[in-house]
Amino acid sequence: MSAFADFWSGRDLWLEPMIAGVLAAAILGYIGVFVVLKRMVFVSAALSEISGVGVAFAFYVGALLGIDPHAHGAVPLLLEPTWFSLFFACAAAVLFSLRPGHRKLATETIVGLGYIIASALVLAILNSPRIAQEAHAVGDILFGNAVTVPRAQIWALFAASVAGVVVHALFFKELLFVSYDPETAVVQGVGVFRYELLLNLATAVVISVATRAVGALPVFAFTVIPAAAALMITEKMRLTITLSVAFAVVAAAVGYYLSWIEQLPTGASMVVTASFFLLPGLLKLLRRSTV
Amino acid sequence: MELIRLERAVIGYRNALLPPLDLAVRAGTTLGVLGPNGAGKTALLKSLLGLLPLIEGKRVLPLGRSPRVGYVPQRDRLDMSWPLTVLDVVLMGRARLVGPVKRYSARDRKAAREALSEIGVGDLADRPLFALSGGQHQKVLIARAIAAEPELLVLDEPTSAMDPAAERILLELVQRLKSAHNLSVVLVTHQLTAVAGFATEVALVDRERSLFEVGPAAAMIDPQRLGRLYGREVRVAQVNGHTAVVIE
Repeated sequence: MSAFADFWSGRDLWLEPMIAGVLAAAILGYIGVFVVLKRMVFVSAALSEISGVGVAFAFYVGALLGIDPHAHGAVPLLLEPTWFSLFFACAAAVLFSLRPGHRKLATETIVGLGYIIASALVLAILNSPRIAQEAHAVGDILFGNAVTVPRAQIWALFAASVAGVVVHALFFKELLFVSYDPETAVVQGVGVFRYELLLNLATAVVISVATRAVGALPVFAFTVIPAAAALMITEKMRLTITLSVAFAVVAAAVGYYLSWIEQLPTGASMVVTASFFLLPGLLKLLRRSTV
Repeated sequence: MELIRLERAVIGYRNALLPPLDLAVRAGTTLGVLGPNGAGKTALLKSLLGLLPLIEGKRVLPLGRSPRVGYVPQRDRLDMSWPLTVLDVVLMGRARLVGPVKRYSARDRKAAREALSEIGVGDLADRPLFALSGGQHQKVLIARAIAAEPELLVLDEPTSAMDPAAERILLELVQRLKSAHNLSVVLVTHQLTAVAGFATEVALVDRERSLFEVGPAAAMIDPQRLGRLYGREVRVAQVNGHTAVVIE
């Protein structure tokens, strides 16, 4: 049996994770163009980590209250890790939207602080004796594994993607203006804080949900690599977005296929595949620098 | 008629940069804000535009609303690597006029192209931003400001990286736009010649000397006042109808 036939015969196993991977890649490929152009690539990593704190915190609070997190239907809605994760990510998005009034405290520094503190908190909570037995399960929920994705997470990812696309479709010109030239936007009466907040909230929701579905590494990679690859080979905004989404979707699908037939880790396989799209841009750079 | 007025305004980021000041931008005038590098000109401009809260005093809007402002920022603050065409950038000037949710219409695109043509760079509309020279980029930013259909055109150091000929051409362009669109202009610069020939009113600013003076250009472009501003001897002369300022 050929490798593809073997892959195809197992479609009942991979179809849903593949859909999740492709969906996450598409929306992150789109959002990534703004993330890369605004020079805030570590916002993606920080939001992913901070939403992870929300998940770990939900388990910790559950343990304190004596609630079994695996008992379906027994977990009160407010203690659902999804809500905690979204709440933490959105709170961080609000924080990142504030313009620090201190010249030594750039937004980049705040993002770095968020990432470091969130990483430490996740480690501390996961190693707490109160949830020691749940640590492995929490780790899976925190960072996803892209191999098995519950259908509920696919729907959550679909809803987050639709929300992100709607926000960008409705306010594209304002988001572009405040991202490119916030000073002029504010002088001309376009509410910079309002639209930066909207952009960051849309990014936070997508990253938070996508991290739980496919894992932190692919989410970070799909937010950066396809956009960077597209930006290196084109000079038009719409073409950049189209190429970035296309690169991300192809990388997710081909990466998943390769991970299946070569028995490789799925997330890493997707990331390595995505990185091949950097080659045309790098060749272009190389050619330009040798002229 | 006044468009914006500062009353007993103390400006600064945390500490006062200048003594309490009164300043008004009047319809139809060109206000030149002049001072050395780091004098507090940009802080004054931001306070005037409402971007920087006043430490004390009042910012008054005599029209009962903010005037429509066409803003030309310092060119080097903008990232040229964005995948935008010239038309994309000029259309941004229309964002407020179009309003949220709506897209740019054919009318907006026509207005943006007309603004580019008026500035003399209509042929650049579809060119990528990165391919522009410094002077072309400056003109594109002015076109964006004009596309906003402003009452007040504000230029922050528009000629800072230009040779004298390019500076002259740009200032003549601003003068022409002022007449054609019945604009008021605020021009912030550290270049004396830019203000001497074009401003109707001049504000002299220097936080080192705690100096703020404002008045008609003829009175302010004065060897003694400019000498105090720059701490050097200054000579002012008329050459072929143009005002020349020399710092000794």
